[in-house]
Amino acid sequence: MAEIRCPMCSTMNQEAAEVCSNCQARLTPLVADLPPSEQHDSGAEGRTPPQSDANGGNDDWLANIRADAAMGSGVEDHAAEPEEADDAAPDWLGRLREADSSIEEGPPSDKIPDWMGDFIAAGDEATEEEVPEWLSRVRERREAQTEEQPESDEGEDWITRLREDTPDEQPAGLEDLKPSPDDDESIEKPAPQALDLDPPPDLPDTQVPQDDLAGEQVIPSQEAGDIAPSVDSVVDDSPPAMQEPISPDEEVEWFPAPDERELQEAEELLHVPALLDDETGDASAIELSDLNLDSIELPDWLGELKSETPPAAEDEGEGPDLAPATLPSWLEAMRPVDTFRSEIEIEAEEVLPVESAGPLAGLRGVLLAEPVVAMPRSASTAAARLEVTERQYAQGELLQRLVEEEEKEIPPAKAERRRLPLVRWGIAFVLLLAVILPFGFSQLGIEGYAFPSVVSRDLEPLINLISGIPTERPALVVFDYTPGYSGELDMVAGALLEHMVMRSLPIITVSTRPTGPPLAEGLLNKIAAGYGAVNGESYLHLGYLSGGPTAVQLFSIAPRSVVLTGYHLPDSLSEGSVWESPLLQGVQRLSDFNLVVVITAGTDTARTWVEQTHPWIGDTPLVMVLSAGAEPLVRPYFEASEPQVDGILTGLPAAVSYRQYSGLPLETGVQWDAFGMGMLAVELTLIAGGAYGVGLWLLRLRKRR
Amino acid sequence: MKIGTYLLWAAMAVGTGLIVLLGYFVQIDQIPADGLIRNIFELRLLIMRWAVLLAAVSLGIGLFNMFLVHWMKVSEQRTGWKYSAVLIVTFLVTLTLGLIFGPDSRVVLFLFNSIQLPVETSLSALLAVTLSMAGFRLVAQRKDLISLVFVGTALIVLIGSGPGLLSTENLFFGFFAGLRNWLAQVAAAGGARGILLGVALGSIVTGLRVLLAVDRPYGD
Amino acid sequence: MSEEAIGLIILLLFVGLLAFFVTIDRRRPATFRSIKGYDSLKGAIERAVEAGERVHLSLGTGSVIGTDSAPALAGLAILTSIAESTTMSDKPVVATTGDGAMAILAQDTLRSVYSEARALHRYSPISGRMLGPTPFSYVANLPILLASEDISVHVLAGSFGAEGALAADFGERQGAFVLAGTDDAQSQALLYATAEHPLIGEEIFAGGAYLNVGRVHRAGLRVQDAVRMIIIAGIVIGAILSLLGVSR
Repeated sequence: MAEIRCPMCSTMNQEAAEVCSNCQARLTPLVADLPPSEQHDSGAEGRTPPQSDANGGNDDWLANIRADAAMGSGVEDHAAEPEEADDAAPDWLGRLREADSSIEEGPPSDKIPDWMGDFIAAGDEATEEEVPEWLSRVRERREAQTEEQPESDEGEDWITRLREDTPDEQPAGLEDLKPSPDDDESIEKPAPQALDLDPPPDLPDTQVPQDDLAGEQVIPSQEAGDIAPSVDSVVDDSPPAMQEPISPDEEVEWFPAPDERELQEAEELLHVPALLDDETGDASAIELSDLNLDSIELPDWLGELKSETPPAAEDEGEGPDLAPATLPSWLEAMRPVDTFRSEIEIEAEEVLPVESAGPLAGLRGVLLAEPVVAMPRSASTAAARLEVTERQYAQGELLQRLVEEEEKEIPPAKAERRRLPLVRWGIAFVLLLAVILPFGFSQLGIEGYAFPSVVSRDLEPLINLISGIPTERPALVVFDYTPGYSGELDMVAGALLEHMVMRSLPIITVSTRPTGPPLAEGLLNKIAAGYGAVNGESYLHLGYLSGGPTAVQLFSIAPRSVVLTGYHLPDSLSEGSVWESPLLQGVQRLSDFNLVVVITAGTDTARTWVEQTHPWIGDTPLVMVLSAGAEPLVRPYFEASEPQVDGILTGLPAAVSYRQYSGLPLETGVQWDAFGMGMLAVELTLIAGGAYGVGLWLLRLRKRR
Repeated sequence: MKIGTYLLWAAMAVGTGLIVLLGYFVQIDQIPADGLIRNIFELRLLIMRWAVLLAAVSLGIGLFNMFLVHWMKVSEQRTGWKYSAVLIVTFLVTLTLGLIFGPDSRVVLFLFNSIQLPVETSLSALLAVTLSMAGFRLVAQRKDLISLVFVGTALIVLIGSGPGLLSTENLFFGFFAGLRNWLAQVAAAGGARGILLGVALGSIVTGLRVLLAVDRPYGD
Repeated sequence: MSEEAIGLIILLLFVGLLAFFVTIDRRRPATFRSIKGYDSLKGAIERAVEAGERVHLSLGTGSVIGTDSAPALAGLAILTSIAESTTMSDKPVVATTGDGAMAILAQDTLRSVYSEARALHRYSPISGRMLGPTPFSYVANLPILLASEDISVHVLAGSFGAEGALAADFGERQGAFVLAGTDDAQSQALLYATAEHPLIGEEIFAGGAYLNVGRVHRAGLRVQDAVRMIIIAGIVIGAILSLLGVSR
């Protein structure tokens, strides 16, 4: 069964359907015999209702159509559909009346449909005095070309005859024009009668082709006058044979399926003459009410129809100066589907209001927002329903899900389970075991590491230096290391300090770090306890020297001006200045000290003391007690041709050797064993790591090969 | 900051820097007792004393800044605020005790010897574990020849530095000790001197940028 | 010629070369070798900013007075570059030091950067802070900082002792991108073993040039190279002369 495409949503519906199953749009247009307010686009409808019933029985069908159309409703739903057509009133008939002979637009093709040709031929038989010149020309040509057409009886239904000749299959465009089986009862099916235009008696019956150019809303008008400009272009075509008029009793099939030839010819006729009245310049001829038939030269039979034109259009009074253009049907068929149609009337400039405010004040013709923007529009039911594809639905769901997730509170992600640092723990355990184990060597009967037998060549000069220092003047000992390095440096410096205390050499301590003085007090207190040395008599603390290298230089130049108070002074000096101590008598500058010993773990501090004190130290020897790591950078000062450092003691092995060869008690056996065991553990760790890395490296090389 | 103020700070920084710097190129013996140079030299000493004073004051400002950071952490209860609370409490207690009894009192010395000294010594011990661990995975991580040389050198220096893998009485200990001395006093010292030279050059240029007010660490 | 005069001449040489290289920088831009650490640093900072993580810059434990201030000042130049990249980040850069004066300089540097970026309202004074007055107490506070502030980029650019190795190791254990440099050769050896991207030698002083802090930084690096060549030439010539028996 043939299907009709819905003009709104393009859904395929059954041929007999009146409304679309999807969007409920009307598939079968209503007859355009409506009041002007309900008229929309003349191009869409453009159907002029039958004007008169001049031919008695021939006009009955047309009158019926008009009556039905007047009772119809919802015309604006179908107004834009080129496929829609009133199921009663012949669109082509309305356009015949509206067409202006002067309009240049016409069927694009030179061919004219058969029915038009028949009509033209029939029109030739009109009275001579009423036949315009152009029509007479057309008729002459037709007569020369066409076969003698059988005379049409008055009242003969030429449309019926046309229909008989057309094939059953209806083109898509005209399907919509056919009345559906479920017609509205109020709309009577038009009787297939002859034109209600009072055709001339000899007017051959023509058969209206079903397929009106595939989508044309208006059948090309058979009105001779309307098609005047285009007739000349089509007269060359051999007119088709006139058909027997269709009997009124037959089922109304206004547009039976045309044969292929008619279809082809119909397709070539893509437009009808524009309905523009040159004389009056009236509005678009699609507005039936605006039609001024008086200005159109019409044959008699059309003229009678014209007189029946509703006078509503004449009452409009002043119209716009410019007649709106009437779009041909083929162009109208291309109009996009639009549910909302606004009606805008262009008024004459004189009647246009003058803008009174704003930047456009004083101008006429300013577009008013209200009539355009705020124009009430009635939404069609079709607009309420959207055709949603599956993909769109899925995307819509995704969007909704995204929006919902934004509002959800995401639970905190669980922290990644950390891998246990087993290798680190293992190495730490090994090291810890290595340094703890020597404490049980004696219980276990294990002999520890032997003391170093090889003495460094740096050691002897240092021992001699300390041994030969006079004890009249004090020695300055700088504690420039942090508590973190006290584990090593206390042992290294302890040997030297113990030697100095053993010789009763007065010791003055100072530090450029805040934690230096307590470290000095702790170490000296421990050492002095073994020799009966007392704070304030054997040693004294100058305290913290703030300012870094600057302070070192200032101290070298004038120590009394830099250090004002001491640290942990004895009670005898608690109320006075540290410089009042007998130990510091005669000390005015750095060179007044017997010896300067710098205990530090950092190379920067060592270099600072070397470089900043050099101009002011004079002949006072400078000794460096260093951590093992600082030796490479300080040794150049010791080994230079003009050494700035007179003695160096680095690392625990050197300290143990110093004790060995200076006559100091060797109480570092356990520390020496712990030191050795720790070194062993580290060496084994490095060997294992190196072997592991090299093995891994070789494995990967193998894999690559 | 307005342009005028910025120029004032820059002028002060440049001026004091130039005075102190030029003082290093003038020997004291050559400075006459009177005269502009003497005055400049004495001004330099004055500026240096101010620097010493400012260094001590900046320590106090830094401690106050540290206190403020932890105070805000506690008040906002950010991650780890409990540790910050402990720090604030101990900070205030130590400060109070030091103000009351003095920084060289027995109480403060007890706190120093009982808390700070062991904690920092332990961190130093942790350093030994960290370096051992780093040495263990160095070759496996970097996979290059330099890493292998690095670990090998460390091994040689360790062996030659003291008892461990080889006792000091071992026959080969002397060889490793000599090798260690050569590495430390020749190779390492030479390389370290080169690094020191480069560092010195970088320090000079960095200082010049500050003296010429190109780098303005004191802000704009 | 006295040592002071030689020193003055060297100083003037530096100033002259600096002015010269600044002048020709546009016409003859410098080409430096690639330093992997700086090349990777930019990408690491971008990733940190995008991931909403923080960058931490340590200016070391040295004081502003003394030789250990030079690497810290170089670190401030790196801080300038990093701060410019993280000004609008959710978690701007944090600079820590072991010295009070250096903390104040870090605050001033950050404030200048924010002021130039017209984001002074985002500046916080505690973004430049002192963690501890002693080196090990400074390092002891690092693990808490690294964990609580979501540090993903850990830059050590300042004066460090052996504690620098601990600082770098803490960053590695945190899984952060670690770039470490200092002026002390002994510490550099430790950082080579513990840091992912160590800066050897005076590469720490090249940070300003590699991170495009300014024209003068690039010129300064070229001055260093030029003087280094002069020193090398002098050493070689002196060694040759010494071998030939030519005394001073």
